Amino acid sequence: MKFLQVALGILTAIGGFVDIGDLVTNGLVGARYGLSLAWATLLGLVGICLFAEMSGRVAAVTHRGTFDLVRERLGPRAGLANLVASFLVTALTVTAEIGGVALSLELATSVNYILWVPMVGLFVWLVIWRVKFSILENGAGLLGLALLVFGFALWKLHPDYGSLVHQVFVPQKPPNERLPSYFYYAIALFGAAMTPYEVFFFSSGGVEEGWSRKDLMIERLNVFIGFPLGAVLSLAIAADAALVLKPRGIEVDSLGQIGLPVAFAAGKIALAVAILGFVAATFGAALETGLSCGYSIAQYFGWQWGKFVRPRQAARFHVAVLLTLIIATGFVLTTIDPVMITEYSVVFSAVALPLTYFPILVISNDPDYMGDKRNGRLMNALASAFLVLIVVASVAAIPLMLWTRAGQ
Amino acid sequence: MSEKPHGRVFDLSLHLLDRQVLDRDGRMVCKVDDLEFERGADGSLYVAAILVGQRALSHRIGGRLGVWIRSIAQRLSTDDVPRIDFAQEDDIGSAIKLGASRDSLGVAPLEDWVREHIVSRVPGSRHESE
Repeated sequence: MKFLQVALGILTAIGGFVDIGDLVTNGLVGARYGLSLAWATLLGLVGICLFAEMSGRVAAVTHRGTFDLVRERLGPRAGLANLVASFLVTALTVTAEIGGVALSLELATSVNYILWVPMVGLFVWLVIWRVKFSILENGAGLLGLALLVFGFALWKLHPDYGSLVHQVFVPQKPPNERLPSYFYYAIALFGAAMTPYEVFFFSSGGVEEGWSRKDLMIERLNVFIGFPLGAVLSLAIAADAALVLKPRGIEVDSLGQIGLPVAFAAGKIALAVAILGFVAATFGAALETGLSCGYSIAQYFGWQWGKFVRPRQAARFHVAVLLTLIIATGFVLTTIDPVMITEYSVVFSAVALPLTYFPILVISNDPDYMGDKRNGRLMNALASAFLVLIVVASVAAIPLMLWTRAGQ
Repeated sequence: MSEKPHGRVFDLSLHLLDRQVLDRDGRMVCKVDDLEFERGADGSLYVAAILVGQRALSHRIGGRLGVWIRSIAQRLSTDDVPRIDFAQEDDIGSAIKLGASRDSLGVAPLEDWVREHIVSRVPGSRHESE
């Protein structure tokens, strides 16, 4: 039973790692830069592992979600500023995910995505309203494993693996690309891998599932095995695009193009599986981001939150989630290109990263809360180094966006 | 606040302010948005009550934003600022536990309003998730 639980956790972590941000950014960057920016995804992976582990550990030991403690440590004023910024970024991500589900359904049905949007919004809300947390989390994560077909496609493409690995570890900017754009996309990949909602969701999910100190082992296995395998999936998407789209000069500006290499390498059925993966990954992330918006507001104000109580017991939380979903759905209905929303959402995620990650580092060092489970020296050294990197990425993101006109 | 409740020294801003408050069944009630002090017979200050809600919080947010939040909150409610008598406090840990039930405290009028007027009207609000 224990083994099954661990295996399930890891599998859902793999499937849950990839969302619309990872899909679009990896596909887009792979088609344009090959694997020469894979280092940014790998760096983001190390960062998300470090900080998700900390937030999960804090949740297991204190039974408090991340934003609960953000306000306690930053005070009401800075905490509120943090809440507003984090909420806006996460709500923008909800918008991107809902658009992503609708675009994926358009790929499957050829029905214009706008027609799918209201139904997607409604369905996301229904699942959050009615479905048990563990089913919601595991279901989306397991279906997301359909994206493994990108790995299968990579294998079918018979690439020169040596050269791929070389591109990853000895990155070289393509000579025809400008350096500012190269770094702009590095930040986008970094932001996509470390999106703040992942930490809100991971820690609040730990509280939802009633983690305690004895679950720390499971928590760490999820993070340190599941997330890296999820990142391999991201890299496979980038590698497929690099092998099929880049040589043909195809630039990615739609979700369908990201699935093209799968169809090219492995055929129609594989493409169907990939589209299933798109739907599952984006739908799962829509659930996670929608919940995260509610989690962060409720945790700041001290409202009852969570799916471990009946909706009536957490009235304000459910209304906050509902309003967020209505606004996000309305935003997609304005026909703003969801792919473009996604590109901006990952960059704004990068801007907002220090807001989330700095308080987590402080709290996980608090002896009063954490007792003997507080950070060790190695963890602190790594996390502090990462925090510097996060701040650099955050500060550089907006100037680079303006300078490169969002990577053109 | 007496010098050393439970034989431990508490730092008000570190251990009390902004901390989550739970009721006796472990349900979330509110945050410690502000504190009310009273002076005892011997002249020492002690914590009399936890103050709850946007009006209590607005004083601690301060600045123009604080004034703004306060004036909106005052228009929405003319009742006194909701408070929890500190005698109800049972334990201070990673959250503050009360000896009373959430429903008996009446510190969350918005929650009650939202439950009654919105959430209760949606099918399934009384059921466990499936």
